[in-house]
Amino acid sequence: MSNSHQSDKLLIGRIRDGDADAWNDLIAQYEGRLLAYVQSRLRDRAAAEDVVQETFIGFLTSLPNYDQRRPLEGYLFSIAAHKLTDFLRRRGRRPTIPLAPEGTSSSGWQPDAGARPASSIVRSGERRGLEAAAVTDALAEQIDNWRRRGQWEKLKCIELLFVRGMPNKEVATALDISEQAVANHKYEFLAKLRTAVRKQNLSEDVFPELYQQQ
Amino acid sequence: MTRTLNQSDLEAYLDEALPPEQMARIEKALRADPRLIGQVSAIHSRRSAGVHSLGDIWRGGRLSCPTREQLGSLLLGVLPDDAADYVRFHLEVVGCRYCRANLEDLKGQQAEGHETVQKRRRRYFQSSAGYLGH
Repeated sequence: MSNSHQSDKLLIGRIRDGDADAWNDLIAQYEGRLLAYVQSRLRDRAAAEDVVQETFIGFLTSLPNYDQRRPLEGYLFSIAAHKLTDFLRRRGRRPTIPLAPEGTSSSGWQPDAGARPASSIVRSGERRGLEAAAVTDALAEQIDNWRRRGQWEKLKCIELLFVRGMPNKEVATALDISEQAVANHKYEFLAKLRTAVRKQNLSEDVFPELYQQQ
Repeated sequence: MTRTLNQSDLEAYLDEALPPEQMARIEKALRADPRLIGQVSAIHSRRSAGVHSLGDIWRGGRLSCPTREQLGSLLLGVLPDDAADYVRFHLEVVGCRYCRANLEDLKGQQAEGHETVQKRRRRYFQSSAGYLGH
């Protein structure tokens, strides 16, 4: 666990005990980045400050349910994102997104490579948490390996493919490498992740992207 | 760069994770094309059923985000070249909104007056402290 994660845990422990100084410290530590995040979207300082204020209130009201294994900064950003989304909806800038009814796979309910019906991959919350944690660990380990070995091209390539969803050709252009190199990085990455998933005895249904065609 | 919206763009849109100009572009597209609403709605439903993409997990866990200390080192110009190159890529090409916010905050710390910051923090504290220990 990183030092900052450890100090955040201690800080939250004090806030849970009702320590006002600890709450002040948390505000001082995080309000600037939260304000920058919200302000970049709203371009309205007063409104952005209101959203950050709601974020801090939201944090305290949700604190009993906060899982401390989750990094504090990410948790605060996720609350800010929800408050910002609500604000934009109220202003009419962001459309309300309804839940698609089950079985509407033509609209993309199923993951791209998922051949099985959705009902077979609806699982218990606990199971889902375990699966996501296993894949998170495997991804984090892979990213750490690339960093330690200075394999920045691989990291950039996989990030563009899976986080930005770019096709191989666009990634090759963005990184000024061949499409074959992109395909090789992708193949190697998927093979490693599949191995990690199998080691955890997770079902192949869980992340169909791992079994997609290259 | 203008390109076709893909599944990852829409996933990141739902998370408020894209740079503002791309968020605005998607909002405009959603207003113009009801089929796109269906696609976003399908992602929303898939997540509610507990099915997440690798991109969701990577982005949500901020697995490749530099630390705040590394962002500070970038500003000071003391990050090693290869690491600095990656951080710039993450900020500019991937467009990580959380890291951009951290960087903006670090840049702004010198620019903003002490009293303004203290006043704002007092306001946050006073409006929320009533929820402490509940």
